[in-house]
Amino acid sequence: MDVTSRMRHLRGPVALVATGALALAACSSGGGGGSGDSADSLVVWFPGTNQTEIDLVTDVIVPQFEEETGVEVEVTFADWGDLSTKLSAAFAAGTAPDVFGHGPAAIADYAVNERVEPLDGYVAQLDPDDVEDLSSALPGGQVDGVQYLIPLSMQGNMFIYDAEMFADAGLDPDAPPSTWEEIYEAAEALTVRDASGTVTRSGLLLPTHPVGTQQSFANLLLAAGGDQLSPDGTQAAFNSPEGEQALRLLVDMYSGEEPVATGLGANFMDAAAAQQPIVTGDAAIMMTVAPRATDIMAAAPDRDFRILPVPRFESADSGHALGGAGAGLMISSDSPDKDLAWQFIEYMIDPGTSEQYTEGIGAVPTRMSAVQGEYAQSSPVVQAWLEALPQFTANPNVPGWVQARDTMATYLEGALRGQATPEDTLTEMETAVNDVLAAARP
Amino acid sequence: MLFVLPALLYVGIFHLVPVVYGLVLSFTDYDPLSRTSPDVVGFDNYVAIFSDAAFRDSLLVTGRYVLMVLPVTVALALGLALLVNRPFPGVGLVRSALYVPHIVALTAVSMVWLWMYSSNGLINEVLGWFQLPAQSWLYDEDTALPAVAAMRVWKALGSNMVLLLAGLQSIPKELYEAARVDGARRWQLFRHITLPGLRPILVYVVAMDIIFLAQGFAEIFVLTGGGPLGSTTTTNYLIYTEAFQYNRMGSASAMAFVLFAFIAGASLLAVRGMLGRRQS
Repeated sequence: MDVTSRMRHLRGPVALVATGALALAACSSGGGGGSGDSADSLVVWFPGTNQTEIDLVTDVIVPQFEEETGVEVEVTFADWGDLSTKLSAAFAAGTAPDVFGHGPAAIADYAVNERVEPLDGYVAQLDPDDVEDLSSALPGGQVDGVQYLIPLSMQGNMFIYDAEMFADAGLDPDAPPSTWEEIYEAAEALTVRDASGTVTRSGLLLPTHPVGTQQSFANLLLAAGGDQLSPDGTQAAFNSPEGEQALRLLVDMYSGEEPVATGLGANFMDAAAAQQPIVTGDAAIMMTVAPRATDIMAAAPDRDFRILPVPRFESADSGHALGGAGAGLMISSDSPDKDLAWQFIEYMIDPGTSEQYTEGIGAVPTRMSAVQGEYAQSSPVVQAWLEALPQFTANPNVPGWVQARDTMATYLEGALRGQATPEDTLTEMETAVNDVLAAARP
Repeated sequence: MLFVLPALLYVGIFHLVPVVYGLVLSFTDYDPLSRTSPDVVGFDNYVAIFSDAAFRDSLLVTGRYVLMVLPVTVALALGLALLVNRPFPGVGLVRSALYVPHIVALTAVSMVWLWMYSSNGLINEVLGWFQLPAQSWLYDEDTALPAVAAMRVWKALGSNMVLLLAGLQSIPKELYEAARVDGARRWQLFRHITLPGLRPILVYVVAMDIIFLAQGFAEIFVLTGGGPLGSTTTTNYLIYTEAFQYNRMGSASAMAFVLFAFIAGASLLAVRGMLGRRQS
C-alpha cells in the first residue's frame, strides 16, 4: 500500500476524531462560571421546589428585574436535598452560578474555601437606614463577622396547637402553657392511646428525622439556657446540665415510661400541609415553621389553630428557640460580574420586592419595618414569628457545621431509640463533634 | 475499525476515563470545594475506610440487602415465568402488567412506596381492616431494610420474569415430549429439563441482580435516607454522603473501588457456583 493510499484510508478516522474533538470542545465551551460570555446576563440558583415560590420568582420578580435593568436572568430552582451536590459539582467544573441561594448552615464551608464573595463592601454601600432595617437578619449571614449571605427571610421553630383538642382535654386554649414543664403536662393530657397503650395521637410532636432531631434538641437546649458550641465555635458546649435537661425531655417524649409522641424518625416537617399531623388529627401540639403554619391554616380554614409563644424551661429566665436568618443569597467568587450579581441581590432585598417575596411564600420578612406592613398586619402567623424574633438563636456558622449537625443527629437518634443514656450520648457526641470541628478548621 | 470508533470513543471518554480518574482520586484528598490542588495520600483512604465502622456496617447492610432481595425475586420470577409460559386467555395482559414496574423509574416507584409505607398509607390502612396495629415500616430498625427489599422485589420481578420466560421458550419442546413418553412426571420435567435448560439465563439473571442490588441507592435515598440508625445505609449511599455531602471525593472513590471488588467477587462466586469452575 503506497503513502497516498494509506492517507486515504486514514482520512475517515482522522475526520471523525477531529469532528468528535470539535464537538467536545463545543460542549465544554462557555464554562468558567456563571454568566460567562455575556455581560448582561446572570445565572441564579434558588433552593427548594416550592411551586408558589418558583412561580413568584420566575413569573413575577425576575421579569420585573429584567425589565428594570435590561439584564437577562436565568433562574434554576434546585431541590434542597440536591443543592449542595449540584453546587459542589458546579464549583469543581467551573460552572457555578453567579448568585445562589442556600441556608446559613452551609456558608462557612463555602467561605473557608473562598468560593463565595465577601459582601461587606456592598453592604457598606447600602443606605444606613436599610442596614438598620435589616439588622436582625444580616448577622445570620456572617462568618467570623464577614457578610457572605444576604437572608431573604427569617426562620424559627415555634409551636402550633389545636384549640379544640385543648378544650376537649379540659385545657384552656386561651391560656396556653408557657413553660416546657407546662407544655409537657398539657401534652400528657392531650395524648390519646389505644387499649394496648400505644400512642395514637401525639400530645406533643417534635421532628425526629435526621436533621429534625438536631433541631429539636437545639430548640430545647436553647430554651434551657444552653448553647450548642462554645462562643468561638471551636468546641461543643452541649454536654452541660442544660443539654442533659433538653435531651432527657426529648427522650421522655418519645420513649419514656409514658411517651406523649409517636412516629419516631418520620419527617412530617416536609410533608404537604394537608398531611401535617396536626391537620390529620395525629398531633395536638406540633413544632413548625412560619411558611408551613400559614399553609396549615390555609389547608384547614375551619379549624382553630393557634401559635404558642416561645416557651422556656422554668429554670431559665426567658424563652429561646432555634431560628434567625433563613435561606439567602450568596455571590460566587467565580462570577465574572459580581457587581451585576449584587444588583440582583439588592433588588431582592428592596422593601417592595422583599415584602412581595415573603408574602408570596408565607415567610417571615427580614426587614423590621415589615412589622407595620400590610402583609404582617394581616397574618397572625407572621405577627407571632416577628414578635418572637428576639428569642431566636441561629445554628452556628462554623466550618464543618453540616457534618457536625449530622453527627449530632446520629447520636441523638441513638438516645431516642434507647441505645444509650442521655448522659453517655452527650459525652460521646461531644467527642465526635469536637473531632469534626477540629478536622474542618482551616 | 472505522465502524467501531464511535463506540470506542464513547466507551473511552464516558466510561474508561472516569473509572481511571476515580481510581486516581482514590489516592488523593480531593475536595471539589477546595481551590488548592489535591495531595497524593497513597493508600491512606483505603486504610481509613477499613478502620471505619460505618463503612464496614454499610458492606454488611449491602450484603443483607442483596440476600433479602435476590432469592425471593429469582424464585418468584421463575414461578411467574412458568405461569405465563402457558397459553391462557389474557396471558399477554398478565405479562405486560408484571413487566410494568420495570419500566417505571426507580425514584418514582420509591415515592409511591414511601406513601404506601407511611403511617396513614395503604399498607397500614389494609392492616387496619383486619384490626392489626399500624407499623412504622421505614422508621423501625427491624423493618426498614425488609420494607425497602420488598419494594425492590416488586420492581425487579418483571425484568427477571421476561428473561426467564425467554429462557423457558428456548428449551426445545421435543425434550419434554420425549421425557413424557419415558414416564417423567411434572417435577422430574422441571428438575431434569427446565432447570438445566434455564441455567445460562439463570446465571445471567443472578449475576445482573447482584450487580444492580449491590449498587442500591435511589430507593434508599428516597425511602429511608440510610436510617434508622444506619440500618439501611448501603455502601453506595455512604459513598454519596461522603462525596457529595462532605466533599471527601478521595475517600468516596476508595469506597467505590472496594464496592466494585465486593460486587465482582460476589458475582464471580455466584457464576462459578451455578455453572461450575470450567464453564464459568
